[in-house]
Amino acid sequence: MTISRREVLLGATATAALLPIAARAQTSEVVIGVIYPLSGASAQIGVDAQKAFETAAEIINKKHDFDLPLARGEGLPGLGGAKVRLVFADHQADPQKGRAEAERLITQEKVCAIVGTYQSAVAVTVSQICERYQIPFLSADNSSPSLHRRGLKFYFRASPHDEMFSKAMFDFFDDMKKKGTKIETLSLFHEDTIFGTDSGNAQSKLAAERGYKILTDIKYRANSPSLSAEVQQLKAANANVLMPSSYTTDGILLVKTMAELGYKPNAIVAQDAGFSEKALYDAVGDKLEGVISRGSFSLDLAAKRPMVGKINDMYKAKSGKDLNDYSSRQFMGLIVMADAINRAKSTDGDKIRQALVATDMPGEVTIMPWKRVKFDEMGQNNDADPVLLQYVGGKFVTIYPPQAAVAQAIWPMK
Amino acid sequence: MLTAETIIQSLASGLLMGLLYGLIAVGLALIFGLMDVVNFAHGEFLMISMYATFFLFAFFAIDPLLSAPLVAAALFVFGAVVYLLIVRFAVRAKANAGMVQIFSTFGLAIVMRGLAQFFFTPDYRSVTNSWLGGKTVSVGGIFLPEPQLVGALVSIAAFVALYFFINRTDFGRALEATREDAGAVALVGIDKNRVFAVGWGLGAALVGLSGAIMAIFFYVYPDVGASFALIAYVTVALGGFGSVFGAFAGGIIVGLVEAVTALVLPPSLKSVGIYAVYLLVVFIRPRGLFGSM
Repeated sequence: MTISRREVLLGATATAALLPIAARAQTSEVVIGVIYPLSGASAQIGVDAQKAFETAAEIINKKHDFDLPLARGEGLPGLGGAKVRLVFADHQADPQKGRAEAERLITQEKVCAIVGTYQSAVAVTVSQICERYQIPFLSADNSSPSLHRRGLKFYFRASPHDEMFSKAMFDFFDDMKKKGTKIETLSLFHEDTIFGTDSGNAQSKLAAERGYKILTDIKYRANSPSLSAEVQQLKAANANVLMPSSYTTDGILLVKTMAELGYKPNAIVAQDAGFSEKALYDAVGDKLEGVISRGSFSLDLAAKRPMVGKINDMYKAKSGKDLNDYSSRQFMGLIVMADAINRAKSTDGDKIRQALVATDMPGEVTIMPWKRVKFDEMGQNNDADPVLLQYVGGKFVTIYPPQAAVAQAIWPMK
Repeated sequence: MLTAETIIQSLASGLLMGLLYGLIAVGLALIFGLMDVVNFAHGEFLMISMYATFFLFAFFAIDPLLSAPLVAAALFVFGAVVYLLIVRFAVRAKANAGMVQIFSTFGLAIVMRGLAQFFFTPDYRSVTNSWLGGKTVSVGGIFLPEPQLVGALVSIAAFVALYFFINRTDFGRALEATREDAGAVALVGIDKNRVFAVGWGLGAALVGLSGAIMAIFFYVYPDVGASFALIAYVTVALGGFGSVFGAFAGGIIVGLVEAVTALVLPPSLKSVGIYAVYLLVVFIRPRGLFGSM
């Protein structure tokens, strides 16, 4: 057999082309999929989330003197110092696009775990795909309680869900009543996707259990061009507390329409989402002095745990914004997932799952007000204590629970 | 809780919103009437006019009321350019003409959204502290937000002006003639392209006007056009494709039906009323209430 010069050249080219792949395989890296709305109505959330995940990856991959898992070393020591590489995918707030993107991340990008998704409706489809491919999925910031109750084995959530958030609100109401504040009637106002519906259901249930009367329960279409009919009903009911579960767009329109129709509620206790977004306060903050929102994060914590302030500075340098309820949970989402992969010492889906099941992370080594991170058999962390925050003088102060509070609630709102 | 007050309040809010819907939709009707082309980038025209108003306010502190004519003028130019650079070629297509028209404006919509997202970022922006923003007139317990009130007046004025423009000026007559028979007008020396370009400019300028008013009370973001464009299409279909007066009437009907539906049904069903009325129109008078085809 004679080998022509051409064949030698071809062979050399092929070898040269393959070399980088071989080299890449040696300097091992751990690829994690991050799936968010990077375009469409809630794209800003995705863009901010990207910065939060990049901040977390930077802390994992480089040396930092924080009391946070994986911060002190470089990369994942359990995998020979492998670096975390993130692959971002855009689901455009569409569950079907989420499904397709999750499949692409797993089969083509070869990710070993996925974190997401902001919209709970998208988390439903993404986690189903992950279950099918046996790839662990961690809900960084989805709050619908139905998510962890589907019996999925590869589903995990370190942060609280809406029932825990809503429970904190009603605990707070009970507390206020004991102090002599009149809270008897509620108006619910929620959007019509899984987030608003679950939140509305949880609140109705808790209200019935604890003896609060719901005067109106308004379910509205998300991204409505007009909310005047809805606001009129809220105004007519004029309950002691208005409880909105709205994303940013509808939140802005709600507050503007309330002002236009002369409705000034006694108190607003919001289910986060839009009411944690800077854009909403930029637009209508002047009308929201004293609004209360639930949260899983508070920058007040920086006083007790200095690393919270430092990590906030890192995030702010990238995004121009302070860490909020969402970006903080997204940040922790990657830390929790990377910690499990590190302990699994493998990128195998099932091994990571076992490591996640064994997770027991004390609250002090997180940036959250949580007791700890430990998943129950459904994959839910029940020790993620939520906080209630009040918007006073242009910033949020923690008012509940007492152990995290730095101020008393102002009631009624101004 | 159906008191006289809530009913009047609903009707008033519905009427104000409806007049604005009419103003948003009329540009669409005008362009369709002129050359049988549906502008699928209509919502994006609204979006850029809202951004233009926002930026004029944010950088030069020009109140939306003052910038409205500027934005309308800018949109006039933009509309004419879109015709000359894109639509003019799209309507020449011999094969699959309908599809080519749809995709050329639909593609433009996607490009405009993408560019807005890239250059303006997806953040929600609002004009804060404008002259009218957040102000409300209260008449006997009925609240009328000033931005919508002014918007309704602008809408009525625009429709009156449009009526005179189309019926009483030479150019308006040329517009009507071109719409009747574009081939014949060429014989009497009317430049078809010029008329179409002005038609697109006019349609876009009307959207520009509504966008400037909308920016006072609505948030701006790259996808803001979508929900309003949907209403505009229904408005035009209801009022009659191509009929300028139909868009006016259609807008008012949509606004009122939406308000009344929300009064008697749960608010989440409020769009059901609009589509029910539309279906009724389709059954009884498929060309729309004032359609003339």
